[in-house]
Amino acid sequence: MDRVARFAAVNTKIKAMERDFLNSEHYIEMLRQRSIQDLAAYLKENTPYSKFLNDINPETINRTTLEEVLKRNMVNNLDKLLYFFHDNYRDFLKALFLKYEIADLKNFARDIYNNSKSEVAVDSYSFIGKYSKVSFDKLQKASSLRDFILALEGSEFYEYVKPLLDGKRENLFRLEMSLDSSYFSIIKKSSEKLDKSDRAIIEKWEGMVSDLYNLQWIYRGKKFYMLSPEELLNYTIDMGERINFSRRRELCYSKNLEELKSKADQLGFGFLFKKDETSDIFMERRINRFLFHKLRALSRRYPMSIIQSVAYTWFLDFEVRDIFSIVECIRYNLSPEEAGKFLIRAV
Amino acid sequence: MAIEKMKLMGIIGNISKMNKILRLIILNGSLHVINSLNRISSEDFVLPPSEENIKALEEIPYLKPYTSRLDFSREEEIIKNLIGIFNLRPEIKREYLGQDYEFDDFMKQIFNVYSTVHSIAESIEDRKKSIEQKRIYIENLRYLEKYKVNIGKLVNMKLLSFKLIRLSKENYSKLKKNYENIPAVVLKIADEGKNVVVASITPKSLEETVERIFSSLNFTELPLPENFNCSPKVAIKELEESIAEDKKFIDSMQKSIENYKNNYAIEIEKAYARLEMEKKVEEVKTSLAIGKKLFFMFGFVPESSAEQLKSELKATFGEDVIIILEDVDKKSPGLTPPTKLRNIAILRPFEEMVKMYGVPAYNEKDPTAFFALSYLLLFGAMFGDLGQGLVLFTAGILLRLFKKSMAVFGGILASLGLSSMIFGVLYGSFFGSEEVIPALLVRPMADINLILAGAVGLGIILIILGFLYSILNSYIEKNLEEALFGRNGIAGFVFYILLLYMVYGFAAGKSGLPPALLSSTAAIIVLMVFKKPLSGRLTGTKVLYHDSPMDYYIEEGFGVLETVLSAMSNTISFIRVGAFALNHAGLYIAFATMAEMTNSGMGSLLLLVIGNIIIICLEGLIVFIQALRLEYYELFSKYFRGDGIEYEPVRIIKAIPGSISFRQKHSSKRNTSVNYAF
Repeated sequence: MDRVARFAAVNTKIKAMERDFLNSEHYIEMLRQRSIQDLAAYLKENTPYSKFLNDINPETINRTTLEEVLKRNMVNNLDKLLYFFHDNYRDFLKALFLKYEIADLKNFARDIYNNSKSEVAVDSYSFIGKYSKVSFDKLQKASSLRDFILALEGSEFYEYVKPLLDGKRENLFRLEMSLDSSYFSIIKKSSEKLDKSDRAIIEKWEGMVSDLYNLQWIYRGKKFYMLSPEELLNYTIDMGERINFSRRRELCYSKNLEELKSKADQLGFGFLFKKDETSDIFMERRINRFLFHKLRALSRRYPMSIIQSVAYTWFLDFEVRDIFSIVECIRYNLSPEEAGKFLIRAV
Repeated sequence: MAIEKMKLMGIIGNISKMNKILRLIILNGSLHVINSLNRISSEDFVLPPSEENIKALEEIPYLKPYTSRLDFSREEEIIKNLIGIFNLRPEIKREYLGQDYEFDDFMKQIFNVYSTVHSIAESIEDRKKSIEQKRIYIENLRYLEKYKVNIGKLVNMKLLSFKLIRLSKENYSKLKKNYENIPAVVLKIADEGKNVVVASITPKSLEETVERIFSSLNFTELPLPENFNCSPKVAIKELEESIAEDKKFIDSMQKSIENYKNNYAIEIEKAYARLEMEKKVEEVKTSLAIGKKLFFMFGFVPESSAEQLKSELKATFGEDVIIILEDVDKKSPGLTPPTKLRNIAILRPFEEMVKMYGVPAYNEKDPTAFFALSYLLLFGAMFGDLGQGLVLFTAGILLRLFKKSMAVFGGILASLGLSSMIFGVLYGSFFGSEEVIPALLVRPMADINLILAGAVGLGIILIILGFLYSILNSYIEKNLEEALFGRNGIAGFVFYILLLYMVYGFAAGKSGLPPALLSSTAAIIVLMVFKKPLSGRLTGTKVLYHDSPMDYYIEEGFGVLETVLSAMSNTISFIRVGAFALNHAGLYIAFATMAEMTNSGMGSLLLLVIGNIIIICLEGLIVFIQALRLEYYELFSKYFRGDGIEYEPVRIIKAIPGSISFRQKHSSKRNTSVNYAF
C-alpha cells in the first residue's frame, strides 16, 4: 500500500490533535496551582482539556476522578487513531495500546492482592478490555490472583500467565513480570507483520525503549531485589538497539553496581546514573526525557510512517503522566521550581 | 377497536391462604397489579363498613409492605443441577400448577431425590477427573516413549531430580544462550512450533535455584506419574487400560441415572414449574400490603375478564377472600389505569408498531385503526405492484404460520403485501413490468405531475384527519386550552385550512390576497400565542405560568413560527409518496434496460429476477421505513401522546403464543417486574 495513502489522513488527524497538547505556558500555570481543585479549574477553563472536564465540578473533584478523566480522554484520542488503520496496522496499534491496558491490569491485580478491590471505583480501569479480548466482567468476579489469571482465559495474555497456575507461582511479582514481558512479545510479533520500512523503524524505536528499560531493570534488580544474574537476564526484554544479547548478559553478570555503571557509560548511557545521590529518583524521568527527544527526532526523520502515530501516543502519555506528577507535587506541597524537576517536559 | 375498559379490583384475603390465592391469580393471568399501600392511602379509597368487611377495616391502620422476601437460591440450584444431570428441557405446564400442593413439602421430596442422584453424579465426576489426570500423564509420557528407561526410577531418584518442562521458544533461546551458567542438564526433547519441551536433570541441592531460573523463563511443568516401575511405553498402556475401566464404570453409573430419570423426570418438571410460580408469587408479594391476619392486594382487570377472576376466587376460597370491584372512571387522577388495546385480528399486528412509538394513554383514542389504514395506504401507494405484493403477502402468511416468534411481523407483512397488490392493479404493474396488466387508475411514469400532486393531496387529507383526531383527544381529556387554541387544536386546524387556501390562491394565479383572509390568519396566530391567558379567562381560573410570563411568550412566539413552517413542510413531506411510486417504476426500468442489453434469453431473465429481488428487499425496506416516518413524524406528533402504561398482568404462562415481536427484548425485561400504576 502506498505510504501516502496509508498515512496522509492519519497524520493530518494527528497534527490536528497535537494542537490540543498543552504548551509551556500551561505547564507554568499548572505548577503554580496550589490545590487539586484549582488545577482542575485551571484545566477546565484555560486548556483544551475543558471539553473532557465539562461535566466535572472542579470544586468537588479529587485526585482519582481527575486521573480517571484524563485517562478516559486518552482512550478517546487513541480510539480516533484506530479508525484510520485496518488489518495488520490496526492490530499493531492495538498491541501498542496494550501497554496502558497492562498497566491497568497490574493495578487491578494489586487491588485483588491487597483485598482493596471493592474500594476502588470501576471507572479507574478505563483501559481494561479496550484493546484486548480481556473481559472486565469476568475479572471483576475474581477474588484471588488465581481467579484473576483464570479470568484472563481467551485473551492475548493467557498463554503468558497460564504457566503460573501450578500452585506455587501465583504471586504478584511473577504475574506482573509475565504481563510486562507479554507486552514486548506481542509488540514484537505484531510489528513483524508491518511493511518492511515500518518494521525497521519500529524495531529501532522499540530497541531504544528496551535498552533503557533493560538497563533500569538490571540496575534495580541488582540494587534492590538481589536477583541472580540468570534471573535478571531471563527477565530482560529480548530487544535492543545498542545493547544486544551478549552485552545484556555482560551487564547482568557485572559484579557490582560500579562495574554496571561503567559498562553503561561505555555504551553511552552514563547519563542515567549521573549525580549519584538522586539517580534513583530521577532515573525514570531521565529515561522518559531521553525517549522524548529520540522519538521527536525519529518522527521528523520519517514523516510518512507509522512512527507518527507511535509518537503521538507516547507524547499524549507523557503529558498525562506530567499532569499526574503535578497533582502529586501539589499534594506534597512542592514549590513550582522543585516540582518542575519531576516533569518529563522541560519547563 | 378501542382501548379496553378496566376495573379496579381489590382482594383482601387471609395470610395463611396468601400463596394459594396468589397462585390462582397468576394462573388466571389477567390482573395488572399495582402497589397496594399507595392505593389504600389514597383519598378516595373506601371500604364499605359492612359486616364482612369489619375485620379488614380493623387491620387497615396496621398495614405494612411485605418485606420478608424468601430466598429460593438453594431450591433453584438443586433443580438446576437435577435438570443438568438428567438433561431435561422443562416446560411450565398449567396442570402442574393448578393442583393443590404445599411447596415446601413438595420440595422435600425433590431434595431426597437429589441427594441420591447427586452422590452418583459426583462419583462420575471423580472418575472423569481421574481420566483427565491419566490423559495428561499419557500425553507427557509420550515425550519419553522413545527412551527405554524405567519411568519410576527416573522420577524417584534420590540425589537428582528429573523434570519435564515446557518453555516458549523465545525463552528457550534465552536459556540456550546462557547455558553455561545454568546448574542443570537440559535436554531438548520435542519442538512443538511455538513451544519447546525439555527435560532437566539437576542435583536435589540445586533444585531451588534451578526452579527460580525456570520461573523467570515462565515454565510449565509437565507432571509424570510416580508409581510405575516400567518403561514409559508400558506405563502408557497401563494407563490406557485403566481409563477404559473408568469409562465402563461411568457407563454403568450413567445407566442408573437414566433409571432415576425415568422415575422422576415428571416430578422435576413439576418442581421447575412450581419454583417459577413461587418466584413469581414472591415478586407479586412486594406490592402487597400485609396486616396481622389479612393481606390487601389491588390491581386492574379488563372488564371482560373481571367476573371470571372474581368467580374463580370465590369458588375456590369462598369466605376467605373479600373482593371489591370498582369502576375506574371516577377514580382519583393519581391512578392511571393500564392500557389494553383491543382491535380486530387483522389490525392487531399494527398495535406493535403503535407501541414502538408509545403506548396510548387509557383515556386516549386508540390510534391503531387509523394508523393501520393510513399506513397501508401509504405503503401501497409507494410500492404498488401486483406481483411483488404477492411475494410479500405470501412471505407474511408463511411467517405467520410457521415462525411463531415472527408472527406479528408476518401479519404486518401480509397486510402490506395485500395493499401493494391493490395498488399494483391500480397502477397496472406486475413484477415491475407495465405491459402485463392494464392500469385501472394511472401509470405513475405516464403522468408524473398528477402522481406528485396526488401524493400531496393524500397528505393533506391525512393531516386534516390528524387534526380531527387531536381535537377529539383534547376534548376527551377536557383540555380546553389545547382543543381551542392549541396548534393541533381548532385554531391550528383553521390556520392550516387558511394557509392551504392562500397557497391555492397563489398557485391559481390570483393576484393579491383578500385582506379579510390575511387579517383572520393573523388573528389566529394571536390566539395561539395567547392560548394560556385566553383559556384561563374562559374557564375562569387564574393563569399559571411554568416559568416567567416572558419565557412563556417567547416560547409561544417561536412555537407559532414553527407551526407556520411545519404546516408547509409536513404537507410537502408527503410528496415522497409520489416520488417513491415513480422510483419504483424507475428502478424496474433500469433493470429492464440492463436485461435488454445482455441480449440472451437466460441472462436477461436472470437479471430481471435479480432485479425484482433487489427491488423487493431494498425498496420494500425503504418504503416500509418512509411510510413509518410519515406516520410518526407528520401524523403521530399531531395527535398522539403515547404516555400510557401498558397492560401487563402477572402471569406465568404466556397467554397469547407468538405475541412476541420486535419489541421482544424490551417487553420481556419488563414482564419480570410487577408494575406500579403510580
